[in-house]
Amino acid sequence: MSELKSLGKPTRRVDALEKVLGTGRYTHDLKIPGMLVAKVLRSPVPHAEIVKLDVTPALKVPGVVAAITSEDFVDHGNWGFPVKDDYMLAYKKVRYVGDPIAAVAAETEEAAEAGLQAIVLELKELPAVFDVHEALKPDAPILHEELAKAQAEETTSGELEDAEFIEVHGKGNLSETLIVRQGDPLSKLSECDVVLDAAYSVAHQEHAYLETEAALAVPTADGGVTVFVGDQNPFITLSNLVMTLGMPGKVRVVQSPHTGGAFGGKSDMVYETAAQAAMLAIKSGRPVKLVTSREESMIASYKRDAMEMRYRLGATKDGRLRAAKIECWADSGAYASMTPFTSWRATIHAMGPYHYEDCHVDMMCVYTNNGYSGAFRGFGNTEVTAASEQAIDELAEMCGMDPMDFRLKNCVELGDTLPFGQKLEYSVGLKQCLERVRKISDWDRKRAEYSRQPAHQEIRRGIGVASFFHGLSLGAEGLDFAEHTIRLGEGNKFEILTGLSDFGQGSRTVFSLIASEVLGFPVERFQWLPCDTDVVQECGPTVASRSTILGGNATRLAAMRLLTQLYDAAAMMMGCMVPEVRQEGEVFYGPAGQRVTLDELIAYARANHIPLSAKARWEMPRIHWSFAKGRGVPYVAYHFGAQVAEVEVDRRTGVTKVLNIYAVHDVGKVVFPQGIRGQIIGGISQGLGYALMERVEFEKGYIQNPNFDTYLIPTAADMPVVTVEFVESELPFGPFGAKNVAEPSMVPTAPAILNAIYHATGRRIRHLPANLERVLLGYDLKDTVTTTVCQVGVCERAKCEL
Amino acid sequence: MEIRFTLNGKPTAVDVPPDITLLRLLRDYLDMTGTKCGCEIGECGACSVILDGEVVNSCLVLAPQVEGRRVVTIEGIRGPDGGPNDLQEAFIEAGAIQCGFCTPGMVVAATVLLRKHGYPTREQIIEGISGNLCRCTGYQQIVEAIQMTVLRRGGLPEKEEHA
Repeated sequence: MSELKSLGKPTRRVDALEKVLGTGRYTHDLKIPGMLVAKVLRSPVPHAEIVKLDVTPALKVPGVVAAITSEDFVDHGNWGFPVKDDYMLAYKKVRYVGDPIAAVAAETEEAAEAGLQAIVLELKELPAVFDVHEALKPDAPILHEELAKAQAEETTSGELEDAEFIEVHGKGNLSETLIVRQGDPLSKLSECDVVLDAAYSVAHQEHAYLETEAALAVPTADGGVTVFVGDQNPFITLSNLVMTLGMPGKVRVVQSPHTGGAFGGKSDMVYETAAQAAMLAIKSGRPVKLVTSREESMIASYKRDAMEMRYRLGATKDGRLRAAKIECWADSGAYASMTPFTSWRATIHAMGPYHYEDCHVDMMCVYTNNGYSGAFRGFGNTEVTAASEQAIDELAEMCGMDPMDFRLKNCVELGDTLPFGQKLEYSVGLKQCLERVRKISDWDRKRAEYSRQPAHQEIRRGIGVASFFHGLSLGAEGLDFAEHTIRLGEGNKFEILTGLSDFGQGSRTVFSLIASEVLGFPVERFQWLPCDTDVVQECGPTVASRSTILGGNATRLAAMRLLTQLYDAAAMMMGCMVPEVRQEGEVFYGPAGQRVTLDELIAYARANHIPLSAKARWEMPRIHWSFAKGRGVPYVAYHFGAQVAEVEVDRRTGVTKVLNIYAVHDVGKVVFPQGIRGQIIGGISQGLGYALMERVEFEKGYIQNPNFDTYLIPTAADMPVVTVEFVESELPFGPFGAKNVAEPSMVPTAPAILNAIYHATGRRIRHLPANLERVLLGYDLKDTVTTTVCQVGVCERAKCEL
Repeated sequence: MEIRFTLNGKPTAVDVPPDITLLRLLRDYLDMTGTKCGCEIGECGACSVILDGEVVNSCLVLAPQVEGRRVVTIEGIRGPDGGPNDLQEAFIEAGAIQCGFCTPGMVVAATVLLRKHGYPTREQIIEGISGNLCRCTGYQQIVEAIQMTVLRRGGLPEKEEHA
């Protein structure tokens, strides 16, 4: 590859200036004349039948202009993907504390609040279930009776063509089962010299994006509605709006210029917020703004699923992995949301990037009345890697091996086959990541030194490692494409049109850099625009760390086509043939010494009606995974990486201070250095929170910590010094070789820290988070005492007939 | 009630209900939306402003409390040409900004930190911004931006402490 001019060079974030000046607008900041304020009535109980719901008294409250329930939506606002089990406002039943029931729009916040108070709501509370194992018992209360009935009919009809191994469809509260199958690990385990059998668990994690969910809906002249939001896919918001509002062709979704973080969290809950605001705008004929409070957001929004995992791993005594039998239960909560997909990704990654002869993974997605779970950075892989990388460490110790050596001995390399039948054909830099992180962390010296700390020493240090892989983009989940347009805009800048959102990760800058590289113009020549469904093409969701690969390739192809147009125009302008045109940056030359600047060329194109606008679509290579057989090709390729954590634990208090984290990631190619470093360090901060402090405390379905005073996330004082390096094993079809980075950055952090704590203290903490009690006592006080259920936050007034 | 105070150096009078916070006054009555609302309980720091030289969470200050006092918001933090000042430039250059929602509060906190300490150490910087939550960056590039500003203002390079 020839020398790169723009990629990998120090560059500023293209949308940073207005953020640092405070002039950039977020959905929270939008305001238009005549705007009403909306508020939502939410369920005060975890599981109940709606006996009576009457919003007409709310309309009599001064200032209240509109009030809605599920009756106002098409098909009661039923929606959900991949399982259509949710409602824009609850229909017949509520299934978690915070489930939206009704919404009002009013002139002021006070009037809206009074409107909610006036709504007549009678609930008949139903038995609820808060534990995945309890939920699977035959006598457990069923959350989705109709779905369960339909599933029962479906499975008895015997039409599942591919179901020779397992019925993938659920029964009762089991929404889905996902599997990986190779050989017979249980018999293999009985032949292994060394066998580990251990249970691990991870807790619900809150996204804690600093901007809570919000939407501004504005009625349009044609009787439709335009909705301004900050979400992860304006086209999914759009299709859900069209489906539930029932006005095809009259709905438009526009993303606000900026969105205050997402991390997987700005999907389902934002679709509901958008639909509620839109329906209120249609009913009232006025613009309606709906902003959730922090408590409301934390109670009502989906979380990273809690997961229970049992790992049985077997190896030879000299440390060669042979078999893995892994069983997991994911707490889906009240709705499926993304849990079937996060759980699928979890099954694929549950055994880690290692060789096994035989491997089975079974993942059960289970409905409970604990809020609901969905997408969050890492998307299932963060959960299983927290367990698998501890299990690997435990097995290494049983074999008497250094954890780094054990991983190097078993890790996959180019040409190897993963334990579901996929041959690794591209870009496998795991070994290099491990070797490099070993060196930069000074692993061998520190590991030996900390292993020699005297037993009586109270303040102890430890060092731990975790390695991992993470499949690119959506994989076999579905069609995977992006379509971008680069067109001439105001001020002779080229606008990059994309349906992929930038809520801070830096994709606008990545696309500008790629366009700059292809066209040879400086980054400043390009202009970003917020996604608008009337303007841009559908690009699929901004999830799965897919923007750089999908959007990057679409940008690259569109830029190449635009370059062709520019050369055509330049040849015409200079009166020569296209192959005679030469370009240096923003200047084009002809064979006879002609010289035309880009601005002159643009002026010529405008005057002669030559369009300068090119679009291009890029699609991932198609692959197939058999969900019924648990084999196939789940992702075309993978990100690989390893992180080392160094901790200091005070054994008298349980305080764990993370001193250093060394992160080496195989990203294919660094496109935007400042951005990619930010992704890694930011991901590590979320992984550190996951390891040490973050847990949404559900107490009989009620969240006990709904704001930042009780749900703690890392502050500047909690962060270690992070050292980041990259391995660039170029992906042949990545844009300039680039792979994914956003999600993978946090995946190995928690197990690296947990392994370091074990090294420091000799106490293995298999249940996250490793809070003070668990580090100090070895168990959580919460598990040993009965706490009183505190019904926090949600509409304490609700007229429940309990 | 009418509240009179100095906002970003300009005398300001605004008629608001007496029971609203300074945050609401700024955002809802003056449309100064650079100051963000993140938690409304004084935990996240997104609403940080400078009140008589001190950083405060504007969600914890009642509007009438600012009567006769000086308030500086992100809109009042600018370089001599009205563009970004050196600290804000450093934020851009160091990669201290991702989603940007915490950024105004961070800049406000760092402004007061630099004014108070002159040339703060890394520890003082971390302490100075530890009341401001950022979910995107992991803070390191924010700390680096502030260190970069300290250096450029003539502070001595601090020896990095690596364990």
